[in-house]
Amino acid sequence: MDQSYQLAFGTYEDALRMVGVASEPRIAATAVSGARIQLFAAMVHDRNRSYWDAAFAGEKWGGLLAPPALLMGWLIPPPWEPAGRPPVAGIVLRVPLPGTTFINAANEVEFPEPIVEGDRLTVVEELVSVSPEKRTRLGVGHFVQTQETYRREDGTVVAINRNTLFRFTPGAPS
Amino acid sequence: MSGAELDWNEIDVPVELPEVVDQISYQRVVENAGATWDYFPGHFDPTYAQSQGNPTIYVNTMHLAGFADRVATDWAGSGSRVVRRSMRLAGSIYAGDTMVGRGRAVAKRRDTSVDPPRYLVDIQIEVTNQHGALCCPVELTVQLPESPD
Repeated sequence: MDQSYQLAFGTYEDALRMVGVASEPRIAATAVSGARIQLFAAMVHDRNRSYWDAAFAGEKWGGLLAPPALLMGWLIPPPWEPAGRPPVAGIVLRVPLPGTTFINAANEVEFPEPIVEGDRLTVVEELVSVSPEKRTRLGVGHFVQTQETYRREDGTVVAINRNTLFRFTPGAPS
Repeated sequence: MSGAELDWNEIDVPVELPEVVDQISYQRVVENAGATWDYFPGHFDPTYAQSQGNPTIYVNTMHLAGFADRVATDWAGSGSRVVRRSMRLAGSIYAGDTMVGRGRAVAKRRDTSVDPPRYLVDIQIEVTNQHGALCCPVELTVQLPESPD
């Protein structure tokens, strides 16, 4: 697996000790760019002028609008970097648990301000909760809830994202 | 088409939004990993996805969110903006599936807690697959341009 998805392993008790921990701020490797805005809009087949029409978007938002749905993508490191990996992965991957893999379960996000081309985002992540062991159709594991606060360079909060992920070991349902 | 702009004052709720249907080929799922930089192997490696208990690779949360946003803003227009979205990943959309988005505007509100007030519409969206299975229920709020009084 790509090393950016390497998981920390431990017990549920280990994970509980991490609840409430907030990460150091992480800054996006690159600024919000028209190319990535349009690559994402093309992938979704979204003709929204805010993503494609620079004159319209400039007048309306101050630049091409970052698709709200691409929020988490700005803080994912590129698939390769010349200086190697930054030492710190996203907090959700550093939660010590037994599960060997994960899948996303729920997401809730607010966007107080538009994010536009040229913004360089910084995120602070916090571990909100880890559920007791649960069994689902996929296997046995724990639900891990995190909150991410995204700021642009002037410090304005542009998004607050709450994500719940199921960290599990695959197995047949009981 | 996000050409015609809706006038918040003219919206009667509840109202059904136009259905959006999208065929999710293997190429689209791979485009998804490339566009989001989310190279979790469940999104590009069928063998890995199967080891997780899935039939094949599946789209990520950002793609489902983008599809829901598209359902909302295709209707509300390019002058609208998604300001809140809550979604539950109840099932996955796999390569080869058809993704169907059905939305319903359920409420409109003038949010006076901020200055100037925000003109909001609350929308419920169900993303289902070609078998009618509900994969992703979404609650979403769009802000519309300030209406002329």
